[in-house]
Amino acid sequence: MGPEGSSITSSSGSSSSCSAAARAPDHHHHHQIDQLLAGAGYSVRSSQLHQVAHRLECLENVMVHNQNIPTHLPLQYHLANDVVHYNPSDLSSWVDNLLSELHQLQPGSSASSSGLPPCAGNYESTGWSPSEFHAPPPPRNGNGNESENQQPQEVLSHVLHLMDQEDSSIQLVHVLISCAESVQCGNLPLAGSLIADLQALLTRVNTACGIGKVAGYFIDALSRRIFTAVPPGAASFMSCWASEDEILYHHFYEAAPYLKFAHFTANQAILEAFQGHDCVHVVDFNLMQGLQWPALIQALALRPGGPPLLRLTGIGPPSPDGRDSLCVIGLRLAGLARSVNVKFAFRGVAASRLEDVKPWMLEAAPNEAVAVNSILQLHKLLGPDQVHGSSSVEQVLAWIRGLNPKIVTIVEQEASHNQAEFLDRFTEALYYYSTMFDSLEACSNRADNVLAEIYMQKEICNIVCCEDSARVERHEPLAKWKARLKGAGFKPLYLGSNAFKQASMLLTLFSAEGYCIEESEGCLTLGWHSRPLIAASAWQPASD
Amino acid sequence: MAGSNEINASESKRVVPLNTWILISNFKLAYNMLRRPDGTFNRELAEFLDRKVPANTIPVDGVYSFDVVDRATSLLNRVYRPASENEDQWGKIELEKPLSTTEAVPVIVFFHGGSFTHSSANSAIYDTLCRRLVSVCKAVVVSVNYRRSPEYRYPCAYDDGWAALKWAHSRPWLRSGKDLKVHTYLAGDSSGGNIVHHVAVRAAESGVEVLGNILLQPLFGGQERTESEKRLDGKYFVKIQDRDWYWRAFLPEGEDRDHPACNIFGPRGRSLEGLNFPKSLVLVPGLDLVQDWQLAYVEGLKRSGKEVKLLHFKDATIGFFFLPNNDYFYTLMEEITSFIHSNC
Repeated sequence: MGPEGSSITSSSGSSSSCSAAARAPDHHHHHQIDQLLAGAGYSVRSSQLHQVAHRLECLENVMVHNQNIPTHLPLQYHLANDVVHYNPSDLSSWVDNLLSELHQLQPGSSASSSGLPPCAGNYESTGWSPSEFHAPPPPRNGNGNESENQQPQEVLSHVLHLMDQEDSSIQLVHVLISCAESVQCGNLPLAGSLIADLQALLTRVNTACGIGKVAGYFIDALSRRIFTAVPPGAASFMSCWASEDEILYHHFYEAAPYLKFAHFTANQAILEAFQGHDCVHVVDFNLMQGLQWPALIQALALRPGGPPLLRLTGIGPPSPDGRDSLCVIGLRLAGLARSVNVKFAFRGVAASRLEDVKPWMLEAAPNEAVAVNSILQLHKLLGPDQVHGSSSVEQVLAWIRGLNPKIVTIVEQEASHNQAEFLDRFTEALYYYSTMFDSLEACSNRADNVLAEIYMQKEICNIVCCEDSARVERHEPLAKWKARLKGAGFKPLYLGSNAFKQASMLLTLFSAEGYCIEESEGCLTLGWHSRPLIAASAWQPASD
Repeated sequence: MAGSNEINASESKRVVPLNTWILISNFKLAYNMLRRPDGTFNRELAEFLDRKVPANTIPVDGVYSFDVVDRATSLLNRVYRPASENEDQWGKIELEKPLSTTEAVPVIVFFHGGSFTHSSANSAIYDTLCRRLVSVCKAVVVSVNYRRSPEYRYPCAYDDGWAALKWAHSRPWLRSGKDLKVHTYLAGDSSGGNIVHHVAVRAAESGVEVLGNILLQPLFGGQERTESEKRLDGKYFVKIQDRDWYWRAFLPEGEDRDHPACNIFGPRGRSLEGLNFPKSLVLVPGLDLVQDWQLAYVEGLKRSGKEVKLLHFKDATIGFFFLPNNDYFYTLMEEITSFIHSNC
């Protein structure tokens, strides 16, 4: 309210103001990037067009030239199979990377040798010369040019995944949203009567699958919110025993590829970041059952030159029953490491909240390469708590950066469940979890599915019923995380085609067709039928 | 040979704007890496390199989109619609009311190109193109994510196209006009244009109404090497051997290019006589090496007594319509607009 104009409370209104912000052309950027190529998904500076064109020509000339030399490995094969590609949107870097790979392939490795044809065409005023072939491969993360040129997309494009719906299903969604709207307006009597309508509608749809099943969970969550006098704390949805949470997690892990995707992708990036280091230290923000680590231990065991000394620090909630569950897992992993001859040390850090962890607890040593691994944890830091004026997430990101890690792997739900307005969060969550449930249904293992659904139901309840510090499932989309990480002094470490390939292979293990992996500016997302649901990215400290 | 390659590069650079040249050359080189000589395709790298964009229910430049999966077929369709004038409606998807009760709104069922092998409905170039069709040509667009070769050969793409057409026809929220029906047009570029023809044939055979076909640089061919193929081989981004690869990947194994999927009016072609076949708008770029086949298609339609309008753009290369930086683009948009609004 006030001089800036009327406040907009409807969901679409707030989204449209986001849209305006995202779309308002920043004139500085407008002059830098070729807008038409941007519409095609490529980021090329207008001033670089000639240079990029020239290099494409060179690339083609080299490819054509090599086709004529029968003793050379088919170049196409090499480029497709052995070269790792990064961030194809940054055309300039992509082409340069290929050119330098080809240069390294040439016998004699000299631009003047007969192996390399002269690159014809005018050299332009950009000053391209054959000596550029001697340049080392461009760094994986580029110069930061390409990523800064993109507008941070404030809008999580509402990729609504709708299955063919009967009239009753459409009605169900409408009434659900109306009910959430009345909750937002504080009109509890109306909300209550809408719950009754919803129960009635539920009898007319198939609640065993599809929107009917998901609607059931949301109706349940709304009921709790409406009919409970005291707002529930987060603890009321937490299990009596930590082991119950672990069971649900394990079934979710098995029922769908999301967690496995997170682990595979992070491990691939960590493995690469650890290349050349003899002492490595992984800090896991949520050890759970340590499911991510056997694969990394085995990969390190097999690496050329031998495995490094691996330290693993696992963070997790304190065990209520007195057993040191973190230690139990550490011992199990130590046994595995011993069996593959990897020197291994484990340390458990018990903390009920990530905010309670202090860097000194991790005992990071100066000579180690550190990897910080956060799978679905960072969003819990986005609550309203503040200490000395800075938010929890800012504090944690600051001490992560203080560790000077080689890599920070971050996986988060690709959803906008932390919007200011309840109705917006509710609507987003309804569509997000519909898609999640849909993807689960397509995988056939019923036993895993039931418990996996309960795992998700807890998230739904937290989003719908809880507020303030009790609401921990504050999922935010990748675009927001990118901005936040850049602001905290990190720069992207691109996930490349090798990680993509690994993730794709993972999908072939799941019989359901509909899962899709996409690359977007160095990050990978796993989704269902074109709706991204989980996003993986990697980061490193930006130089000061 | 290296020398002639450089000549070809500067030739093609002369006829298209620089950013278009970069876009198409980038595709050419990337695609070269993806096709394997043994006929298999590096799908993983292809998906990694393809630039995709999500749907967006918030209007951007007056157009919003959303994805719907047809439960019966698992096919993804991306729907593009003009933004509601009422900002309060932004972000909401209308799945009950028809498009309009007073005027007819053309619904274009669109099949993206990629020689049956590349791209998807959510590829950035096609998402952008479909958005332009909505805003410039004043239509609603349904873009079909059909199954691609070599993993899925003939007739999968046609089956999917046909399923999508029936799906669109059965959506109450795609109806318009006083007669409250779905005013359907079929459109596609490259392999999408080929799919248009075959889906239109099935529709005509089944009595499902299609008001018009729009074929943009459609992919047709045959065993014979035509004059344009020989003359333009390798000159403007495309080589005959590439085209051959894609036909081998799409057609049933062991078949040749006189297969009726490929050579419409050839020795094994299916006659259109007696079929209530819709009117066609066919775009032939003058620098497309398969233009002789496209022109033969137009001639074949005429001989069959079917209405067809030919747009033969002399200096246009393939893909000129991806970027609105040339006159041909605007002419094409105007032609499409009058084509879909003339009998609505």
